[in-house]
Amino acid sequence: MNFSTNTRKIFIFAFLVALSCLSARAEPLSPDEVKTLLARVREKRATTPNLQADFQERRKVHLLDEPIATSGKVWFQAPNKFRRENKGNAPSVTVSDGQQLWIYYPKFKSAERYSLAKRSPLDAGVTALTAGLSLQNLESNYHVTGSKEGDHVILELQPRVPSLRRLLQRLEITLDSDLHVVQTRMLQPNGDEIVTTYANHGHAPLPANVFEFTPPAGTDITTPLGK
Amino acid sequence: MMQFSETVAQLVTKRRKLMWGIVVAIAALTLVILVTRIQLDTEVLNLLPRGFPSVEGLKVYNNQFEQTRELTFALLCQPDDIDKLEEFAPKFAERLKSQPWCVRVLAGSPMETPQGIADLQRIALPLLLNLEPDEFDRAISLLQPQKIQERLAQLRHAIESGSPRPEIELSLDPLGLIAPALKPFAGNVALEGDQPLTSPDNTMRLFPVVTNQPSISAFECQRLMKQVNEFRASALQDWDGGKLEVLVTGRSAYVSEVSLSMRHDIYVTLLGSIALVGAVFFIGFHRWLPLVGMGFSLLLCCLIALAVGLLIFHHLNMVTVGFCAILVGLGVDFAILIYGRYQQRRDEGVTHPAAIADSIHHLGRAIFFGALTTAVGFLALVLSNSSGFIQLGVLIAIGISAAAVLMTTIFFLFIPSRTKPRRSDWILAAVKTYVGRMLHRPRTILAFSGPVLIALVTIAILPQIPLTFIANARSMEPKNSRAGRALSLIMEKMPVRWEPVLGIVRAKDEQQLHDYWKAISEHWAQLQRNGAIKSFSTPYALALAPRNIERNRERLASVDFEAARAALKSALAQNRFSSAAFASAFQLLDQLQISASPDYRIRPWRDELPQNSAWWFLIDRYFGHDPLLTTGFVTTNQPVSTQEQKSALARDLPDAGVPITLSGWSYTLTDLVPWSRRQLLFISALMAVFDASLLAVLYRDLRLWLVQVLTLAFAIGAMIASMKLLHVPLNLLNVLAFRLVLAIGVDYGIYVLLVWQRSTDVARDLAGVIKPVVLAGLTAIAGFGSLGWAHNPTLSGLGVACALGLFWSLGATIFFTLPAAVAAKPKLPDERLNKRELQHEHA
Repeated sequence: MNFSTNTRKIFIFAFLVALSCLSARAEPLSPDEVKTLLARVREKRATTPNLQADFQERRKVHLLDEPIATSGKVWFQAPNKFRRENKGNAPSVTVSDGQQLWIYYPKFKSAERYSLAKRSPLDAGVTALTAGLSLQNLESNYHVTGSKEGDHVILELQPRVPSLRRLLQRLEITLDSDLHVVQTRMLQPNGDEIVTTYANHGHAPLPANVFEFTPPAGTDITTPLGK
Repeated sequence: MMQFSETVAQLVTKRRKLMWGIVVAIAALTLVILVTRIQLDTEVLNLLPRGFPSVEGLKVYNNQFEQTRELTFALLCQPDDIDKLEEFAPKFAERLKSQPWCVRVLAGSPMETPQGIADLQRIALPLLLNLEPDEFDRAISLLQPQKIQERLAQLRHAIESGSPRPEIELSLDPLGLIAPALKPFAGNVALEGDQPLTSPDNTMRLFPVVTNQPSISAFECQRLMKQVNEFRASALQDWDGGKLEVLVTGRSAYVSEVSLSMRHDIYVTLLGSIALVGAVFFIGFHRWLPLVGMGFSLLLCCLIALAVGLLIFHHLNMVTVGFCAILVGLGVDFAILIYGRYQQRRDEGVTHPAAIADSIHHLGRAIFFGALTTAVGFLALVLSNSSGFIQLGVLIAIGISAAAVLMTTIFFLFIPSRTKPRRSDWILAAVKTYVGRMLHRPRTILAFSGPVLIALVTIAILPQIPLTFIANARSMEPKNSRAGRALSLIMEKMPVRWEPVLGIVRAKDEQQLHDYWKAISEHWAQLQRNGAIKSFSTPYALALAPRNIERNRERLASVDFEAARAALKSALAQNRFSSAAFASAFQLLDQLQISASPDYRIRPWRDELPQNSAWWFLIDRYFGHDPLLTTGFVTTNQPVSTQEQKSALARDLPDAGVPITLSGWSYTLTDLVPWSRRQLLFISALMAVFDASLLAVLYRDLRLWLVQVLTLAFAIGAMIASMKLLHVPLNLLNVLAFRLVLAIGVDYGIYVLLVWQRSTDVARDLAGVIKPVVLAGLTAIAGFGSLGWAHNPTLSGLGVACALGLFWSLGATIFFTLPAAVAAKPKLPDERLNKRELQHEHA
């Protein structure tokens, strides 16, 4: 059987395209593979509990007619300390030491303080927010399934716990080959959607004061949930 | 006296029909009174003394606030099942809501539900207008166009930062106006920290439920709890986890259990007493018919006491009626004593009428004085200020007087005229042997009994060995109480849920109520800042002030609502907010504009709230059925348990010029401890003084009087020592035991000493009285001891304390009073007479 040169080229091109499509299609991971992956993640977190990265976020909020785009930098220390600085026209700093959560608005010289201890209504929200960064207790809090897309792995998390289910319908976490979180996609029951993309990951030790916050003098402090 | 005893003997032997006619007439009359007039008061609080504001406050809170119809359900799961419990809890709440007896359920903070938020928005307007002028002006200033712009820009900024605040604010209060007015409700969310609905370990969930119980009577409580228990049996369908318990507590649960356990206690202790008393009587006398006569006479005594009590008090406390069992224990003594003498005379060959006349002649005086001391002793309870105790005292005084009369009259109707003398009586033989030895060598017996009694009195006095005094409400719970167990599990799982102190305020009108609470709230806030109290909550913001409303409405008329609407629209567009999210903001603007017009009539906010709204749980905590009757709550730094704490609260919490009643169970019981101790000391001392005076008149002999007084002191000392050593605690009610032991103990002494003093045949007469005294003592100990089986710890505590006291009273009478009397005042020519000489003398 003889093929013309062009025909052969077309065939080879079509084969390569098909091959690349096949390789790019998400391949579901078996439960054992998911378990192995989560074990690797836990191991990595144990050795590198700190994380800092740049982020870009796109929010679709039911209170607003248009989505919002923000960017900034995030610092995280396992199990539950984090800091997030939003840049741009609406700058803000969010800091949590695991006990308290501060949101500071330099433009308005105002800050909000929330207590995370004693069954705070925010507990579940913070758990959901930090799940993508901490990757801790995923199996106990969520039904976890996974798939592979190229060298990326996508974990799909569906909350087991009702308190989380009230805040979160689904959470997708995309990990690269080094097990860095490169994207999280959070879908909330009220239809809100938050997609955050992370880049420039670093694991250097973080000074304690990164997760501390003292409001500058003259700041108007409110406690929207009381106490 | 001789004439009386012979008359009675004549009547009960020759005019039996007449006597039976009188008996039937008395029984019929008492039954008619009971049937036509009986009114039972089931209020346990009526056992507490009058004249204490804290007690009155507790009664008001118990009867005039909705919490009386509140039950608390709790689900308790295993630690592995907390996720399942979280999922199951809403289903359980729905099932509760669907029960015909359930009015509303609180399954979580109403702030977390859209319905709860919508309910709040309905009542926002009157509460906003109720704000103090400066607060209102501050709130209303947010309607200035520039402030609307600024606020929405800031909220937009907060959304971008991921703050939860915009969601919270915009869902409840898009204009930012009503938050200050709704502070008490927001405060309730914070209150979750003090009164949580979920335990810290998440294994327990609470569901307060208001029921539609038509009244708070014991029978209604039992009926409700029957339905609740049926629900409990089927409530766990679909639960697929490990062990899950449904616990229920609350007033109705307690009242149902207490009333049922009281019924059980009455049956068990009555049957127990009858069996034990019957057994002792039969062992002592080997006769059944007198036992029936004794039972009948006692029943008639109870009927007379209850009927006369009803005529005096018009209603009787159920607990008091239960305590009437004491009457049986006391009345039995008379029957045994008089029958003992009768049988002794019959065994000696005396005829039936002569034996009756002789027993009345010899023991009538002792029984009369015995009844007098007991009756006066119990009448001393009139000084207690507690309507329950007053009733108890009067009923027993009446009953014991009736017993003295009936046991010396109609009791003989049951004694057959022809009885065979008993061939052998081992008890009498043993008593005779003892009497012989005692008359022969009284000091030998004293050498043994004296040191034992002195040692026990020493233990009683020693402060190093404490006598426990329990003054908390738990000491009054029935044993194995399900409601009590539920409450203690809840307290164990949620230790922060200790009972607050109540501050009850009643006002003449709305304005006064508002002004009172304003003053108290400011005062308590200062106390909280100083660290004197942990937290507080009051109905201040919910108490409408007509003056504020009128002033604020006038102020509203100056607001430019058109400009506010335009500014809001513009700010929404500028910040890309969704208009739908702000629909309620425009509605509120419309409402405010309408309410500013002079002819607009604001509806009371209570009418605006749907009946099934969960917010009623909060409102009903503060407002009674009469909206001018209100309560505030103070959470103390520690549960109230000491006099110092109570005194500090009584000094600090009231604010000058505001009439407030402080109450709450812990506070009240702590308040009552001095009263209870006063009861123990003052009234018991008063009774002791009366007894001592009576004995002085009766004996007219210093040595015998001293012996008897010493015996009483020894008996009470030994009783206290035994309670200390056996760890039997005193509680608010079993302090009565001291009075009972004194009353009965003094009778034992009177019986034996009067015989000793007046007898011409000492050995025979003493043996003749000691046997019935021992039997009477044993029946009383058995009767009171049987109260130990009662579920009600106060009743069982009273029974055990009395049984101990009577044991020592009896022991001291036999082994101390008699030998001491013999040693102090020998009646025989020579105390050293030998046995043969004694027997010769008897002959």
